Amino acid sequence: MLLFLARRVGVMLVTALCLTFVVFFLTNLPAKLETLAKTQAGSRMSDAEVASWLDRNGYNQPMLMRYGEWLGVVPGWTREEADGTVRGRCVERMGAEGYGARCGLAQGYWGQSTRFRAPVSEVIGTRLGATGWLMLWVLIVMVPMALIVGVLAGMREGSRTDRSLSTFAIASTATPEYVSGVLFIALLASSTVGLSPLLTSWGVIDGPVLFQGNARSALEGITFWNFTLPVLTIALYGMGYIARITRASMTEVMTQQYIRTARLKGVSFGNIVLKHALRNALIAPFTVIMLQIPWLLNGVVIVEVLFSYPGFGWTLYEAAVNNDIELLLAASVVAVIVVLLTQLISDVGYVFLNPRIRVT
Amino acid sequence: MKHERNDPMAIHPAARMYAEECRTGRLSRREFLTRATALGLAAPTAYGLLGIAAPQARAETPVQGGTIRMQMDIKAQRDPRTWDWSELANVCRGWLEYLVHYERDGSLTPVLLESWEANEDATEYTLRIRQGVTWNNGDAFTAEHVRHNIERWADASVEGNSMASRLGVLSEDGQLRADAVEVVDDHTLRLHLSSPDIAIIVSMADYPAAVVHPSFTGDDPVGNPIGTGPYRPVSHDTGIGAVIERNPDHTWWNEGNGAWIDRIEFVDLGTDPSAWVAAAEGGEIEITYQTTGDFVDIFESIGMPSSEAITASTLAVRFNQTQPPYDNVNVRRALQMAVDNETVLELGYDDRGEVAENHHVCPIHPEYAEMEPPEFDPARAAEMIAEEGLADHEFELISIDDAWQAATCDNVAAQIRAAGINIQRTILPGATFWNDWLNYPFSSTEWNMRPLGVQVLNLAYRSGVAWNEAGYSNPEFDALLDQANGIADADERREVMLEIQRLMREDGVLIQPYWRSLYRNMRPEIRGAEMHPTFEVRYQQYWKA
Repeated sequence: MLLFLARRVGVMLVTALCLTFVVFFLTNLPAKLETLAKTQAGSRMSDAEVASWLDRNGYNQPMLMRYGEWLGVVPGWTREEADGTVRGRCVERMGAEGYGARCGLAQGYWGQSTRFRAPVSEVIGTRLGATGWLMLWVLIVMVPMALIVGVLAGMREGSRTDRSLSTFAIASTATPEYVSGVLFIALLASSTVGLSPLLTSWGVIDGPVLFQGNARSALEGITFWNFTLPVLTIALYGMGYIARITRASMTEVMTQQYIRTARLKGVSFGNIVLKHALRNALIAPFTVIMLQIPWLLNGVVIVEVLFSYPGFGWTLYEAAVNNDIELLLAASVVAVIVVLLTQLISDVGYVFLNPRIRVT
Repeated sequence: MKHERNDPMAIHPAARMYAEECRTGRLSRREFLTRATALGLAAPTAYGLLGIAAPQARAETPVQGGTIRMQMDIKAQRDPRTWDWSELANVCRGWLEYLVHYERDGSLTPVLLESWEANEDATEYTLRIRQGVTWNNGDAFTAEHVRHNIERWADASVEGNSMASRLGVLSEDGQLRADAVEVVDDHTLRLHLSSPDIAIIVSMADYPAAVVHPSFTGDDPVGNPIGTGPYRPVSHDTGIGAVIERNPDHTWWNEGNGAWIDRIEFVDLGTDPSAWVAAAEGGEIEITYQTTGDFVDIFESIGMPSSEAITASTLAVRFNQTQPPYDNVNVRRALQMAVDNETVLELGYDDRGEVAENHHVCPIHPEYAEMEPPEFDPARAAEMIAEEGLADHEFELISIDDAWQAATCDNVAAQIRAAGINIQRTILPGATFWNDWLNYPFSSTEWNMRPLGVQVLNLAYRSGVAWNEAGYSNPEFDALLDQANGIADADERREVMLEIQRLMREDGVLIQPYWRSLYRNMRPEIRGAEMHPTFEVRYQQYWKA
């Protein structure tokens, strides 16, 4: 078990290293650096000013050197200005001691975000917290809904309930977030079209809209009013897939010998489903739910940008648009950790749910 | 000699003429008001010219208190002189003030200056600093502080310092010339220019010219908010929002004439206007920063009326006179004559602007001289083209693929075609269009506004200048422009301007169909927040009824 964990962590490190190098390479292409200089110091700078800015801020060294600086295995760049002051990657962080020192990932320093003018660890920390709330509510809504739909559909294969619930599940998983999000806003969060004007004229709701089509105010306080649409948009997409897997698993269990035996013994259908079938049917969905979490990160980018909710996905988008190198690198490390960690949990959890499987 | 259009009692002569036209029924009252107020008349004065009283709603007294939430991009702050977006300046306007303000109607009002004077040939300016202004840390505001700021602006060694290029007449080798600024006493300053420049005061109203405290260094005017204004920042999160509140520990020099609201909250909702609509519907924002295209109507439909600012931004559909057949003035004039600018505005730009007159001087420019509209005579245009032996020639009009620019050129070409002249349209993608924009024989270019009429003429139409895409070279024009550049008084400059405008038109330099308008939408209870032609958000004047 320990060996298994150690191997998994090793894989995680290697993956993170490869991915960050690719990201580093792409964000450090000359054209990208020019964009960075122009967003940082003025969009109407001349080419000479761009070159001087890049030079003064340590972007002119070989790419591998700078990747080493970021990792913390190469000493940070330093530079003496005309007036005698010393500037450098580590000097700005540690003061005079930073001269010739290493400061990077190995030293626990994630770098500085150029877009937000704040330490990367701080930015990623607060934004991950915001996304944590979103994901929590998504899971709270998505998982029970998916399991209920899947179990109801799977307990009597081919019935009318099965057909209609399956259609719903397929439709929901076939609708990408950027479609469902826009549909929800148009239907539920507009004072001119959709349901809201009807409800207002009937006097059902006080405000002009049923739900808020923008989740910015959720930063200060999550309410049913401002959080429903983003949560629903992500949850609906993930739900269909999990429901399909649950249904497949359920139908398979329902054809097992012991279920038939139980029925022949006269056990009620409700009891069969709840006591005999459910536990066995939930093994497959458990893995899928864990694997679905990294997929949800995808949706988080779209949904957070669509509803302007500043979480991790929104930060990733902002960092990419503004070529914020160190923030993008940190975001990719976080993504690798999330993917591999959820896989690890699903593998370990599987062992506990299914005694026939063993990790070696 | 006094500074430009600073006398509130002066009535623009054109306004009197409009009033006459309105009385005789040649101009609608609404149109008259738009034009007269654009000329700098206060609305009651404009109504007065018609001999009627202004509607009472105009005379509301501002209400103290309240919070306004406004959609606006919040970008990472930096040294004010290197600001490249108006949004950066707008956040700080509550505490960092300016020497002068550029107003919606094209006039200048003194802020931290009390007044200014120029000598006869605009080479020496005397600035009188406002008395009784204090910084919010208690220091008194003096002429020395202004000198310090001018020195900062003139420093070209700072990357991205856009003020340096505007103060060329005060600097030498990229630094402030030693004898350029003379501190006469605590409240008087004299500028010695190396050559006449009437735009120098206007440049000080530009958004990077925020006046900072001498102790200010570095990149963060929010973290270190020493200023003269009545507000102070509470929070500032790039990409998310900023909150600004009235500063209770500071007595503002203009107390009682502004700083009505307690708080303004800027909300950054990204670049997608549909997200702004969603936020407005949910009550998260009450006013937009700028609304464009169809979204103006959408916001109006959800109960947020729009405010329009006429600007001197435009689309110049110009001929390059160095290339045949456009080296022939008759060809250029014929093509101008084939196009009715009003139709272009209506069909090519949705009527969101004002009709222009083919000379690139806008009615909001202080020195604009009233002229008869350009001649529109398609039959005569076709005749003239035939006379030049070009009846079978196929002209080509090139434009960038941007929606409104392409639509405008489509309409220009359609009118030329309707006159019986052969023309084809070519649309180039943005990536390739700009590589050669100066040299296309017949194409269109977007020009942003400059506060003075002479500024664009200097940049784009003087012989041999870098951006002279029209290839215009007329010694007479250059001489008149030189003359205008040396006249600081707008009313005196107008006489020269009339000749310049006439010359531009006689030489058939360009088809300039319209002046673009800018829009902003807001809830009806918000006052004092009208759209500004250079995007200023002076929230010390905003209030809520």
